[in-house]
Amino acid sequence: MNPRTRQTLEFILDNLVWFMLVFVLVVFSILIPNYFQLGIFANIIEASSVLGVMSIGLALVIIAGHMDLSVESVAALSAMAVGILFCSSGIGLGIQLQPQWLMVPVSLLIALAVGGLIGAFNGYLVVRVKMSAFIITLASYIWVRGLVLVISGGRSAQDLAPAIRWFGIQRLGGLPLTAWIAIACFVVFSLIMAKTPFGRHLVMIGGNETATFRAGIRVNRNLVIAFVLAGAIAGLAGWLLAIRTSGATANLGVGLLFNAFAAVVIGGVSLKGGVGTLPGVYAGVLLLSAINTAINLMGLPANFTQVIHGLLVLAAVLLDAFKQTIRQRLA
Amino acid sequence: MSEPLLVLDNVAKNYGAIEALKGISFSIGKGEVVALLGDNGAGKSTLVKIIAGGLEPTSGRMLFEGKEFLAKSPAEAKAAGIETVYQDLSLCTNVDVVANFFMGREITRKVLGIPVLDERAMEQVVQKALASAGTRIPSLRTNVEHLSGGQRQAIELNRFVHFGGKLVLLDEPFAALGVEQTRRGLDMIRQVASQGIGVVIITHIMQQAFQVADRIVVIRQGVVAGDVARNKTSPDAVINMITGETLAGAGPAS
Repeated sequence: MNPRTRQTLEFILDNLVWFMLVFVLVVFSILIPNYFQLGIFANIIEASSVLGVMSIGLALVIIAGHMDLSVESVAALSAMAVGILFCSSGIGLGIQLQPQWLMVPVSLLIALAVGGLIGAFNGYLVVRVKMSAFIITLASYIWVRGLVLVISGGRSAQDLAPAIRWFGIQRLGGLPLTAWIAIACFVVFSLIMAKTPFGRHLVMIGGNETATFRAGIRVNRNLVIAFVLAGAIAGLAGWLLAIRTSGATANLGVGLLFNAFAAVVIGGVSLKGGVGTLPGVYAGVLLLSAINTAINLMGLPANFTQVIHGLLVLAAVLLDAFKQTIRQRLA
Repeated sequence: MSEPLLVLDNVAKNYGAIEALKGISFSIGKGEVVALLGDNGAGKSTLVKIIAGGLEPTSGRMLFEGKEFLAKSPAEAKAAGIETVYQDLSLCTNVDVVANFFMGREITRKVLGIPVLDERAMEQVVQKALASAGTRIPSLRTNVEHLSGGQRQAIELNRFVHFGGKLVLLDEPFAALGVEQTRRGLDMIRQVASQGIGVVIITHIMQQAFQVADRIVVIRQGVVAGDVARNKTSPDAVINMITGETLAGAGPAS
């Protein structure tokens, strides 16, 4: 095989999910009436912002060779914290800050801090107590959701302060600011993963933890940072979720974890760790969102989405195995 | 003997009731190549891990450049100038050659105060280092998983030659190498030693030990069974020390 074909093949393999996204969009545009319009595409991006942000955190930890199942519950807790403090009806306390805009950074900081703290807790147990991240974060997934129920009493908070909600309403280039926040997160974290020593170290830790430890990389510190980041990013997702729904309910975001998982796997991140890029994850998120939109437009019952997502994850894992075989042929 | 670089004083390591090392004492001079020999399970790898910061000794002490020394992590040992090449390869196969070469000490430049990987600078260094060692790797940007065992080991060997430090520990570094590459590897060791760097090499192959070492230290059942200058001993005598048939030539060389 000559080097040019080989390079092309590798490029296609590396960016397979983007080709899938384009393919799916083209097929839907041809087959489904009214699919091909800017409004629909904007909607795809908009609808994927919360899921997208959450997937970033999950992907970071999985790339580093671990797991964070708690992101969904953490997002819900952050959303509930923001909801209770800054909503004016339901269980909302309706706290007002002067000037109004001050509520934006304060609520954001609270959401990030709630997420970061739980992330730090997870990370500490994984690194110091050497427990399996799967079990620890499964526990967090359960108790954090429980905490949401406890502090809300199962009730909801409505009418988020307008100053915060502004982010969901104000549009720039056809997209609400919340969507731009998600895009900015992807850009920033993609750069961190690809261009900084920290990102490089996470990938290498995911590949061979012993080797990185022997090479003098501070593995534990990097892993704790990854968990804190995953938590804080989940907190940000919760903040966006609160804005999107203008409040918080006790079962807010239920099921997001599995969508995030699907997006991450479809995006080409290997559950074994060490493999995957964030732009791929974003394509995975957009792919899921594009399919959801198609289901809506075709008027299929929404319940079909879950079946299709499940099949997609399965397809993604099979595809990953298939990619591995091709790569081995290439080498 | 030249000025001692590292002195081991009665270093012992227990795993529960099992005494892996019962008390090891010997020293390594600057620019000296010490071959560490011994049967399987004699404790050679344990000893290397203790010096390299991967394990903590149960008792005993070490002096590095005349100062009390105990590395609690490989990072500390590295900071002190101790490089290690392990028996089982320490490469991340999911990243490329350049990333592996610079693992843990990437060249960065600041962009808006944030350290950013300087890929071009790193690639140039790796290219130069591999070329001067005569190692051929088709592309420095291929992931290590696609490389052969010999190419992988060459990366590790070139890594210690490039970064140097003060003391190099090699735990069976030539296990996956061919004849020609092994010869080159031995040359590398001499070259590194001539720069005043101390080298400890673990090997099973007597011929290699006699080719490269200034001094031969034999460990048997967790103690030093022999410590002799290469030119004052013979392969047969060393084999006897390893198997414990005689204690001829035992005791410190200096």
